[in-house]
Amino acid sequence: MTKPVRVVHYLNQFFAGIGGEERADAGVSMRPEPVGPGRALQAALGDGGRIVGTVICGDNHIAEREGEAVAAIRAELESLRPDVVVAGPAFGSGRYGLACAAACRAASALGIAAVTGMHPDNPAVEADRQRVVIVPTAESATGMQPALASLARFALRLGRGETMGPAEVEGYIGQGKRRVWDRGRPGYQRALDMLLDKLHGRPFTSEVPFRAPDRVTPATPVADLSRAAIAMVTTGGLVRKGNPDRQVAANATRYHRHSIKELEALTPEGWEAYHAGYFNHLVNKNPNYILPLSFLRDLEGKGQIGRVHEWMYALPGVSTPVAMARQLGRSIAEDLREARVDGVLLVAT
Amino acid sequence: MISAIYSFAMTTGANRVVRGARIEHVCGDPGLGPEKDYAYGMRIVKKALEAITVPVSGPTLFDPHEGEAVHAS
Repeated sequence: MTKPVRVVHYLNQFFAGIGGEERADAGVSMRPEPVGPGRALQAALGDGGRIVGTVICGDNHIAEREGEAVAAIRAELESLRPDVVVAGPAFGSGRYGLACAAACRAASALGIAAVTGMHPDNPAVEADRQRVVIVPTAESATGMQPALASLARFALRLGRGETMGPAEVEGYIGQGKRRVWDRGRPGYQRALDMLLDKLHGRPFTSEVPFRAPDRVTPATPVADLSRAAIAMVTTGGLVRKGNPDRQVAANATRYHRHSIKELEALTPEGWEAYHAGYFNHLVNKNPNYILPLSFLRDLEGKGQIGRVHEWMYALPGVSTPVAMARQLGRSIAEDLREARVDGVLLVAT
Repeated sequence: MISAIYSFAMTTGANRVVRGARIEHVCGDPGLGPEKDYAYGMRIVKKALEAITVPVSGPTLFDPHEGEAVHAS
C-alpha cells in the first residue's frame, strides 16, 4: 500500500475551539493532531491520508497582519512538510474565507498543494478563485459533513500529485484557466448535439458558461452642472507623445493619470494613442476624440460646467480580463471620489 | 460612458451610455471638416453631460443623433 498523504489542516480560532470573536486576534499556533472538524476530516480521509498537524490562527490576526501571519503559517508548513494543506471549510464567513485562501496561497508558494472550501458567494471566491482550488460548500456549518467529504477527496488527489481536470467535471469553483483538452468529438458535432437537445427540450450543458454582467447601482444625478467638477477617463490608450511612461498597447495592468491643469486642449504634439484594438491614426491627429478636453474647456469658459478636474486617467481597454478591469476601474473611481469629483465622462473606443 | 459600440457598453452593465461617433473618432468626425467635426463632438459631449444629470434605473442609452430629421425615400 502507498504511504498515506500527509495533510495539514488550517482552522480559525472558532473552529479550533479557542474562542469566538473575543479571541479572533489569536496568533498562529500549531497542534500535532486533528482538531475540531479535523477529526471528521481525518475520518473522511480514511487510510489514504493522515492529518499531521493543525495550524490555527485568529481571523482578525491574519486579516490585520497578513504578512506576519502568513510567514508564521509558512514556517509551520516548512517544518511539517505536508503533501497537501486543507483550509476550512469557511462556508459563508468572509474573513475566514480570506484567511483560508491566504493559507492556501502560503502553501502554494512552498510548492505544496492546497484546497479550501467555502460558499460560492464568499468574497474570497471572487478575490482568490484564480489562484486557489476552492470547493463549493453550503453557506453555514450545517453543511459540514458533505464539505469535509469533498475536501478529503480533493486533498487525497492533490496530495498524490494528481492533475485536476476541468472545474465543471471535477466540481471545484472555476479558476478561469484555459487548458488544451481533447473533448473527443469535434466542436461542430458537439454544437449540433446541443442545438438538437435544445430544440427537443432536453437538458444540455453549454461549453461557454454565461457570466451575467455586473448590476451597478446608478450614481445619483449631478444636480447642477454649472457648479460640478467634471473628470475625464479614457480607455482609448491615450499616452504622452512617445509613450515615456511605457504603457502597453493591450492587456494593461496599470493606468496613468496626467495633469491637464495647464492645457486648453490635447494636441498631437503632446499626446497620441497607443492601443492595439483600433486604428490610432485619427486620434493621433486629434487626441480630443478620445479625451474631450477641448469641448469641456469651452463649456467651462461659458460657465456651463463648474470646472474640469485637474487629473485625467488613461489606459488601453483591450484584451483586459474582467477581474483586472474591475480592479483598475475601482482604483480610478476611488481616486475620483476622494477628489470630490461630481461627474465623470468615460470615453471607450 | 461615451462609446461607439454602445450596445456592448449597455450589455456589460454601464448605466449611462452615450452613443459616440465611431471607434476611431468617438467624439467627433474628421470627415465632416473642422467646423462640423467640432460641432458634432460638442453635441456628443453635451449629451454625455446631460446624461449625468438624469436619474436612471439601469443601462440607458442617450443618443446625440436623436431628433435628427429622417428623410423617407
